[in-house]
Amino acid sequence: MGSPLQLVVITPETTLLDEPVSSVSFPLFDGQIGILPGRTPLVGRLGYGEMKVVSVSGERKYFIDGGFSQVSGGVLTLLTSRCIEASAIDQSAAELELRDATSRHAASDSEIDSRMTDQDRARRKLAVARR
Amino acid sequence: MAKARAIVKRLKAVKNIRKITRTMELIATARFKKAMDRATEAAAYTKKIAEIVADLSNANLAFTHPLLVSHPVQNNAVLLVLTSNRGLCGGYNSSTLRQALSRLKELKQAYSVSVECSGRRGLAFLKYQQIDVDQQFTNFEDKPSYAEVERIADRYIEAYCAGKIDRLDIAYMRFESASRQSAVVETLLPIGSLSGASGSQSGNTDYEFLPSAGEILEEIVPAAFKARFFKCFLDAAVSEQIARRVAMKGATENAGDMIKSLSMQYNRARQSQITSELSEIIGGAAALDG
Repeated sequence: MGSPLQLVVITPETTLLDEPVSSVSFPLFDGQIGILPGRTPLVGRLGYGEMKVVSVSGERKYFIDGGFSQVSGGVLTLLTSRCIEASAIDQSAAELELRDATSRHAASDSEIDSRMTDQDRARRKLAVARR
Repeated sequence: MAKARAIVKRLKAVKNIRKITRTMELIATARFKKAMDRATEAAAYTKKIAEIVADLSNANLAFTHPLLVSHPVQNNAVLLVLTSNRGLCGGYNSSTLRQALSRLKELKQAYSVSVECSGRRGLAFLKYQQIDVDQQFTNFEDKPSYAEVERIADRYIEAYCAGKIDRLDIAYMRFESASRQSAVVETLLPIGSLSGASGSQSGNTDYEFLPSAGEILEEIVPAAFKARFFKCFLDAAVSEQIARRVAMKGATENAGDMIKSLSMQYNRARQSQITSELSEIIGGAAALDG
């Protein structure tokens, strides 16, 4: 292995993680991506779902909710509005979110779209929490 | 005797007040430090967003987004005023509200303005001025959370994209340094320019954009707006604590001075009382002798 990969996770409130890792995989807007050390520079739009971090201390899982990723010079920066460790997700609250999204009345196209997005997000959050 | 008693009573009251203001000063100092830390941590996010924006503009992309476009017909404006929930913070609320009122007067000439206000102090003032407040928030204390602020920001974004509002102004106390804050009114929507000073980075890296630069743009404009919006709330929280600390420091010092002068007055009163009692005794003794 050449130079290590530094993972930096920033939310609007705080810098959540700043540590060397061996690999990270997370959802982009249109599909999952895995980043290993030595990745070429990249700017990506994040989706929502499970982020898997593999480091010396083992493997950890987080839920991330939208934002951006940037790889440059051995540093992977994730800007996301929310990043929650899998064990810290409140399952009952996530279930409630899903129920809310499912039962919401949606008439126009944009409302249906946003309902679908919310449902999908809640489902993925639950999936991260249950695993 | 009556006068000395009254002074003692007053002295006690002032001492108690000094205790309270001193404690409030200490609390405000502690809160200021916490709020300041939060603001510094949040700055990392804003900085990174600006960096990505700079990267995008290096890729020769035209920025087009509904939030960047100023509407051709300007009818509705929103003025959001950020004040504190509690008083005893000097000129913090009044200077923000003064700025807000003068902007409101300007806006009213061209727009139908809807006023929104955060903080009980501002609400009370606007009610007194008989200005209708369309939305009010009292849930922001010294630690505004992003989730709550985001909800408000989302509402504005939606309204702006749908053409329900044509302009968003926000009046708050901007934090410039620990010794300098100024009340300002800023226009947040439409977004004038995305990055304050782009190109600060050397930024000649050839980035791969996933899924595409356009898709990223679609997301980064609202994100940049939200970050800016959130910063206003953080600035207001920090400034409030500073204003309170300064006000309470002044109050404590003033109480100290008052205690000094009151105890001097008390000593004088006591002295004159003793003197008059003595002269009475001597006078009485002299009368008996004679």
